[in-house]
Amino acid sequence: MVKHSPVTGRYVTIDVDGKEYKVFYLHNGQGQPLICQHTAGAHNHQWRGLLEDDEITQHYNVIAYDLPRHGKSDPPHNTEWWKEEYKLTADHYCNFIVKLCDALELKEPIFMGSSFGGNVALQLALRRPDRFKAVIPVEAADHAPGFYLDWWRHPHANAAQVCASGVWDLMAPQSPDMDRWLTWHYYTQGSEAFKGDLYFYSVDHDLRDELRKIQGKKCPVIMMTGTYDYLTPPEATENTARQIKGGVYIEMEDIGHFPMSENYDVFRIYLKEALRIIRERTDG
Amino acid sequence: MKSDLKKWADDYTSLTNSDDTIAAMAKYYTCSFMFDMSDCKVIVEMHDGKVKHINTKPGPLDPYDFALRASAATWREFAQPVPRPMFHGIWSASFREDLKIEGNHLILMKNLRNFTVQFELLRKCGVPV
Repeated sequence: MVKHSPVTGRYVTIDVDGKEYKVFYLHNGQGQPLICQHTAGAHNHQWRGLLEDDEITQHYNVIAYDLPRHGKSDPPHNTEWWKEEYKLTADHYCNFIVKLCDALELKEPIFMGSSFGGNVALQLALRRPDRFKAVIPVEAADHAPGFYLDWWRHPHANAAQVCASGVWDLMAPQSPDMDRWLTWHYYTQGSEAFKGDLYFYSVDHDLRDELRKIQGKKCPVIMMTGTYDYLTPPEATENTARQIKGGVYIEMEDIGHFPMSENYDVFRIYLKEALRIIRERTDG
Repeated sequence: MKSDLKKWADDYTSLTNSDDTIAAMAKYYTCSFMFDMSDCKVIVEMHDGKVKHINTKPGPLDPYDFALRASAATWREFAQPVPRPMFHGIWSASFREDLKIEGNHLILMKNLRNFTVQFELLRKCGVPV
């Protein structure tokens, strides 16, 4: 018997800082928009569990896009991108997300992202609390140095395997083999973009002196980190959340840096709690 | 200790050589590496995905491509069936614990997929320290 998923995919073309992007996104659900960013060097299949979660999609319009240069979203079509080293900046990243939300006509979306998606969630809370109902930075911190490494695209090694196995330890040993290897598989596909993404993650993103400016009452910030995350360890996230007015920190037991992708059944328990807190603080 | 070490080497060889995940991509997995566990050092020599030899008594000039050096306590943590956070891999332990990765890092990176799988086999056979 043929089994079709309720998840559908679509492209939308947007202009961001003069760059024309044809952006691919997956979608399922209805109600409160919940827009999701994958991790650096990956793509939107990391959100496959959430996209097919009946309990959540009954009340949330879940949208998971591919950032340009990832998955099915091409690099810009109107520039000779291959002549310039890719380095994602906080400004361009934020501008992209806001433009995408505008193009999809999302009213007061909740933004959720993991790792470099979590760090940009903090940037959005700082820059555009007027545009987002709340943010859920997953595996995020005010500053995350140390991962902008040449190994991710060293021409003498197999970059696909270096990226995929280089992030293997970011997952918890308790997470199911299938889900860890699927995450590994996604990472073999994004090696050309990984290092450029990490320019944002480890270099350009630095909110150590900005956290107190985040209006956590206007735009609630619910942070969640797994106990097996060595890159953004729990204490880094907790320390970040503590400095945000109204910031919330949730520790996720026995899970790592890619929680939605490596062990969705565990992740959803904490996600539901985060969504409950947001409903409580925003009246709906 | 001596017989334990030999048994460990036999067990690690057997686990590696029968591992389906390594076998699925074994060709060219050829390199040598030292496990420096403070109280004990070994050099594992790999050829096309199989253990060719484990040198359990390396001399000062015996060659290898790269080395992993940490305290015996850290190696014992690596070998737990489910290691504690930060002891669950070479990246986590080098970022957050006392593991040092030395030697030719490029060779480690070239073989990272299989080496990572093989390293985790320590959770099944333990460590000789």
